[in-house]
Amino acid sequence: MNRQKFRSNRGQRVLILVFVLLSILFLLPFLWTFATSLRLPKDSFKLPPSFFPTAFVWQNYREVFEKFPFAKFILNSIFVTFTVVLLNAAVSTMAAYAFSRLRFPGRERLFLLVLAGMMIPAQATIIPIYIIIAKLGLVGSKWSLIVTSMVSPMSIFLVRQAMLTIPSSYDEAACLDGANKFTVFFRIILPMCKSSILMSGLLVFIATWNDFLRPLIFLSDWNEMTLPIGLRQLQGYQMTGSISVIFAGVIISLIAPVLLYAFGQKYLVQSVSLSGLKS
Amino acid sequence: MTKPKKKRRRDDSAAAAVFLTPAMLGYALFIALPIVLVFYLSFTKYNLISAPKWTGLDNLRRFLTDPSIGPAFGNTLKFVLILVPLHLVLGLLIAYGIYCIRSSRLQAIFRGVVYFPSIVTAASVAIVFSAMFSTNSGFVNYYLTRLGASPVPWLTDPGWVYVTIAIFSFWKTIGTTFLYYYIGLCNIPTGYYEAARIDGASRLQNFFRITVPLLTPTIFFVLITTCIGVFQIFDEPYFITNGGPGTATVSVGLKIYRVAFKDMNYGYGSLISAVLFLVILAITVIQFFGQKKWVVYDYE
Repeated sequence: MNRQKFRSNRGQRVLILVFVLLSILFLLPFLWTFATSLRLPKDSFKLPPSFFPTAFVWQNYREVFEKFPFAKFILNSIFVTFTVVLLNAAVSTMAAYAFSRLRFPGRERLFLLVLAGMMIPAQATIIPIYIIIAKLGLVGSKWSLIVTSMVSPMSIFLVRQAMLTIPSSYDEAACLDGANKFTVFFRIILPMCKSSILMSGLLVFIATWNDFLRPLIFLSDWNEMTLPIGLRQLQGYQMTGSISVIFAGVIISLIAPVLLYAFGQKYLVQSVSLSGLKS
Repeated sequence: MTKPKKKRRRDDSAAAAVFLTPAMLGYALFIALPIVLVFYLSFTKYNLISAPKWTGLDNLRRFLTDPSIGPAFGNTLKFVLILVPLHLVLGLLIAYGIYCIRSSRLQAIFRGVVYFPSIVTAASVAIVFSAMFSTNSGFVNYYLTRLGASPVPWLTDPGWVYVTIAIFSFWKTIGTTFLYYYIGLCNIPTGYYEAARIDGASRLQNFFRITVPLLTPTIFFVLITTCIGVFQIFDEPYFITNGGPGTATVSVGLKIYRVAFKDMNYGYGSLISAVLFLVILAITVIQFFGQKKWVVYDYE
């Protein structure tokens, strides 16, 4: 690693100071949200603001669940996200296996077609996707979010890249021992690509958990809504209710990303680095 | 020695069919079919209840005379012109700064802080930003007035809302750009810097003569992905201003949403989507051709 550019201690100190200030700016919204979520509603807009809790009104957190079907939103988000991550992993590892280790005519052309799918902007196809969902009778159901996220060209690409690095002697040895393609896939290839599958799973998790446009368009019933849409309903409540209660909801919505980050930071960084690579 | 037996051509078509069916089915239904449909629907009038009615170029005529289309594309272009350079330049500076910090522990902390907003739900943190930037009760204006400035109409002035949305969008999305740059920086072989040091190159020379040229593939990647992303901008104006004040921040994405899902005009909405798609495609293609002039892939 080369750090010779800021070798002097003074340079390092200035640099660190700059990034400490930047970090404070980046974290300020979170600190303020957390502190405000624990305040009495009448103090929620108190100025000057304080960025650390001055009171601990946990009642705000209870109120989110009492005034809104907030538990339902969370359960829906969990159900949709986990189903999508699992289905997506199954579908993309199978496809990646075919694209990396099976021989069939037209393989490269078909893979290029899948890659081209990555280039299509989501906004451009949202109307036809909605129409297809409507024809399938899934409008209003959270399954609409699941089926439309099942295939992700990015996941297929990431897992295929990992599978390409496994020497083909593994498959051949297994085949000599009488294993068929499915055994090879489950017993040899999948376990060896665990970290890539995990990485693409994390990316899918974040995209699905945070997705706003599709739930906004596909869902209308509170019972089916996911967290981001539910939070939007909370914001409407801002006019009449207390911002402290809303911020309690915001803090709850941050729990999943925080956990994800705590446990998966390493994989997240790797996945971003891989998704930026050209094949 | 005997000649090695010629390998029999393997053909796994049967197994491949099994492994590919789920992916291809999903691909056909939710990626390929929609892109075909969006062009077909552009020439129809469709409300989901009765069958699509072929109307030829009616939607296109409407598009060319619709007074709200110019502003929607203009606003989107404004977002592109503000946000893309911010990402390109500040993303690189942040990544370079963190990369130059010697303590790997501090590096990890700063990396985490800058990246974290990228993975939180935009819908929820947007609520916080709206409150922070509220003209009368937000703390941003409180501090500004304490410093002697007059309160800024962050959410209600057609010019200032762009600043507000840019701040929010930057905070929310710079993490991914930063990571691309950071990884690119880590991949630069240190030999180049050592050679430069022997030649007595200055800090600035190092940055502009070695770091930036070697990073051009990453810079190009960031340029392409942020362009594609910002042309579709929807979440930020939807959450922060809902297109307002008036129609000052209605982006193409927001316009498509309103035409299709508020006015139930799927045909006309599809035409706008198709145009957006073609615009993004054209810009991407131009950039791919343009890259030959400035992106350096080979350093031998």
